Amino acid sequence: MFKTNLRFTWRNLLKNKTYSAINIIGLAVSLAACILLLLWVQDELSFDRFHSNSNNIYRLAASFKQEGKDNVWSGTPAPVATFARKELPEVANTCRVTDNWSISLLEYKGKKYFNNRCGLADATFFTMFNFPLVKGNARQPFTDDRSVILSETTAKKFFGEEDPIGKILNADDKNAYHVTGVMKDMPFNSSIRYDIIFDFTVLKRDYTGNDYWKSLDEDWGNYNYSTFLLLAPGADSKKVGQKLANIHRRNQDGEFTKNLTYIPLPLSKVHLYTPEGKDDGITIVKVFIIVAAIILLIACINYVNLVTARAIKRAKEISLRKIIGANKGGLFWQFLHEALMIFLIAMLVATALIYLVMPLYNEIAGKRIVFNPLQGNVLLVYGITLLATMLLAGIYPALSLSSFKPLEAMKGKLSGLGSKVAFRKVLVVVQFSFSIMLIVGTIIIGNQLKYIRQKNLGYNKENLLYFGMRNITEHYDAAKAELLKQPGVVAVTASGADIMNAWSSTGDADWDGKTAAQQTFVINQISAERNFLDVMNLQIVQGKGFSGTPADSTNYLLNETAIKVMSIKDPVGKRFTFHDKKGVIAGVVKDFHFQNLHRQIEPAIIYFSPWRWRMYVKTTAKDASKAVAAVEKIWKQYNPDYPLEYQFLDDAFDTNYRSDIRVGKLFNCFAIITILISCLGLFGLVTYTAETRIKEIGVRKVLGASVPGIVSMLSKDFLKLVGISIVIAFPVAWWALSKMLESYPYRTAISWWVFALAGFITLAIALVTISFQAIKAALANPVKSLRSE
Amino acid sequence: MIKITDLEKVYRTEEVETVALNKLSIEVKEGEFVAIMGPSGCGKSTLLNILGLLDDPDAGSFIFNKIEVANFNERKRADLRKHNIGFVFQSFNLIDELTVFENVELPLIYTGVKSADRKKRVEEVLDKVQIMHRRNHYPQQLSGGQQQRVAVARAVVNKPKLILADEPTGNLDSHNGNEVMELMTELNEQGTTIVMVTHSEHDARYSHRIIRMLDGQTVTENILV
Repeated sequence: MFKTNLRFTWRNLLKNKTYSAINIIGLAVSLAACILLLLWVQDELSFDRFHSNSNNIYRLAASFKQEGKDNVWSGTPAPVATFARKELPEVANTCRVTDNWSISLLEYKGKKYFNNRCGLADATFFTMFNFPLVKGNARQPFTDDRSVILSETTAKKFFGEEDPIGKILNADDKNAYHVTGVMKDMPFNSSIRYDIIFDFTVLKRDYTGNDYWKSLDEDWGNYNYSTFLLLAPGADSKKVGQKLANIHRRNQDGEFTKNLTYIPLPLSKVHLYTPEGKDDGITIVKVFIIVAAIILLIACINYVNLVTARAIKRAKEISLRKIIGANKGGLFWQFLHEALMIFLIAMLVATALIYLVMPLYNEIAGKRIVFNPLQGNVLLVYGITLLATMLLAGIYPALSLSSFKPLEAMKGKLSGLGSKVAFRKVLVVVQFSFSIMLIVGTIIIGNQLKYIRQKNLGYNKENLLYFGMRNITEHYDAAKAELLKQPGVVAVTASGADIMNAWSSTGDADWDGKTAAQQTFVINQISAERNFLDVMNLQIVQGKGFSGTPADSTNYLLNETAIKVMSIKDPVGKRFTFHDKKGVIAGVVKDFHFQNLHRQIEPAIIYFSPWRWRMYVKTTAKDASKAVAAVEKIWKQYNPDYPLEYQFLDDAFDTNYRSDIRVGKLFNCFAIITILISCLGLFGLVTYTAETRIKEIGVRKVLGASVPGIVSMLSKDFLKLVGISIVIAFPVAWWALSKMLESYPYRTAISWWVFALAGFITLAIALVTISFQAIKAALANPVKSLRSE
Repeated sequence: MIKITDLEKVYRTEEVETVALNKLSIEVKEGEFVAIMGPSGCGKSTLLNILGLLDDPDAGSFIFNKIEVANFNERKRADLRKHNIGFVFQSFNLIDELTVFENVELPLIYTGVKSADRKKRVEEVLDKVQIMHRRNHYPQQLSGGQQQRVAVARAVVNKPKLILADEPTGNLDSHNGNEVMELMTELNEQGTTIVMVTHSEHDARYSHRIIRMLDGQTVTENILV
């Protein structure tokens, strides 16, 4: 029976080419889109789950309550881990991890490599996490604090086929490190990703015992380290956090730590949630799951609509089968086999499509998904989509079509779904409602991205290039003078911060009238040269700014938000103590965006200090290349060993929003696909409506109906449905998108024209789709259609 | 074989009530070849549908093979139908996507006959209707007469006790029509009971007995043999 059914279906498909093409292409494209989306989702959700301990590993975040507002840092001081292991029995193990900023160049026998991702980690790193060692001892990875573990790729880069163990690498921190192990390359879906792991305890050497913080194990003020805890099964992570905060207070008392809490975030959440565990990337994951479901639903609706519409034409065959002995069960299986066959063909086409677009998709999505249809996870995605499609689109028509009453069906009267035009109309409305929501979503997401990119940041990002100075820092004045002589260079300044990503902050600030509640006040610090504000076009709204005298080292410039949070009236000239250095507020800077626009502007201070390592060179659009050449020349002079890595500020800005832009692009692609699939369904439906009404059209024409009259007769019903969809979709879309935009502190307004445009686009697309078939039907020769009856 | 007594069937729409069968009583004996004639709308097709267990009567008795079937449900009727009754239609009603062989094979599949048996029986019956050479053709590739012969083959492949034919020659020219009628006669001579609705006096003469109907009732019966 199965074989017979398949053979029959196959011939049926070949015979009704338009119908088959609409059905298969629609299904294939949507399956492909759905699978691509789910692969993306799966990749996002797979982050950090490959560790066998991943359920019991947590990363600590430090949280300070400040006047109702949480200030959360993803790093902790170094001693937290030591105490956790020593004092808390529920902490089975700990590991501290951080970037190793002090090394950017490594050399072996004349081979130099820059920009290796260097990390520092405790020796527990290779036993607590699943980063397997190919060579070396996971329990004792480091023999001393000058040991390093290389990834396989890095080892090969340096040593080729030679055994890396024991080899010496010379670093630009003037130290020699010896290789004690080789680890497998860290997977792409790992939040922790390094090429080289140094021993964390090497940081102990930075402490002389004479500074404020005596040693690494007593330094409670540096929140630079990611602390991972392995908790015993069943341990209450929240309580562990509270206990650690208490331990911290015991060691560092005072206002600053009064409201401190530690929040352990499960490792599996690190990638998609904020340090304190609020939704972050997971929002997009959820949106994409919904989009995948919508696409699949729309494709299934198409299928159901087409199959049931076509049932009218198949009534004769179905009833004949019943008359000669088919029972309901047999017919049910026949339709299910048909559905299965169409889905499997669609699945094959979808697989081919995915293969084709995978490289492009990876590029747009910034992923490295390797598509292998036989892989377990891909098969899972396949299985889920196939099952969902069969349930949604396979069983329903099979049930309804098999319950035809044969005699009525023979005469062209249909009972069951085939006759329920209203039901099909509901499906079309559902489909178009979703499509319209996605169109509105696409426009608004596009607007938001545009809004962010066009937003006035409070400084000028045009024609500015910047780079880390390295050795130039010590010869800044000479280098600057040299540069200013070069053509194309308009101005030069320097700062200790990246103006687009200034993340250094401190609580070490004091002023007259600082209240107890303001003890946890934290301010972002931007060290700068005197002319920084001029070159960057930052505006001073009160005061004079830097004076050009030695007094500038205690002249502090604060942004408007800082003044507001500190609640100082007439700030200019008031006393302000920063890092124990007494000074005055010399000016108020108009608020500017020194972090990305996902974050609200926070208090910031600009202070004059030689503590600067980033040079900003202003040029003109015309002479940009000359300026770059000039910078390169100076660079070679001071940093012959290093390559110059400069960036134009506006490029850096785009890089900042790369993931937003990616998500926007993906959303666009999938919204377009959704709309196309909906239209394909509409097209199919109109085709069949026209076919079933062919006799009516013939009669009307014979009686004198005009072609436009018939076109409008056929189109009107469908356009009405699209109209209803618009009415349903608008409020839902408005609600959902307002909700989504809430996550942006700086957001575009949702204006009426977006809806007008979306409505217009939908109607236009639907009209084109419908009229194509309607006109064809209206132009047909009535004699022919009447004779065939 | 068939005994119907006081059979009634009324079609109702919202406003109109059409009496299709009005206390109709007919008997058909095993091995008979009966023709039913009458003008359009006299209830012939309704009668045929009820005889074929495709439709149920509103009142009256219908005894098929000594069993009262008037109150059978859909499932029981379907079961009885597929083992005992074959249909031949005016418009052939072959499935376009299946070959001649597959069309004839279909009833056997639905009654669960094994594949090897099916092949044998289909070939036998195709041979009988002399269409064996076209077994792999599709219906559209055949002439009307050939198509109807395939339809007859399909009707008899399950060796039904009763064949119901609804104007079997209505779409055929006289030559092809005669061929089909001779085929029916032959089947009847081999023991199959046949009830045939027809407009054609010519065709009716192939039967043993003509029942004439008007307004849902029998008017006359002519015995020809």
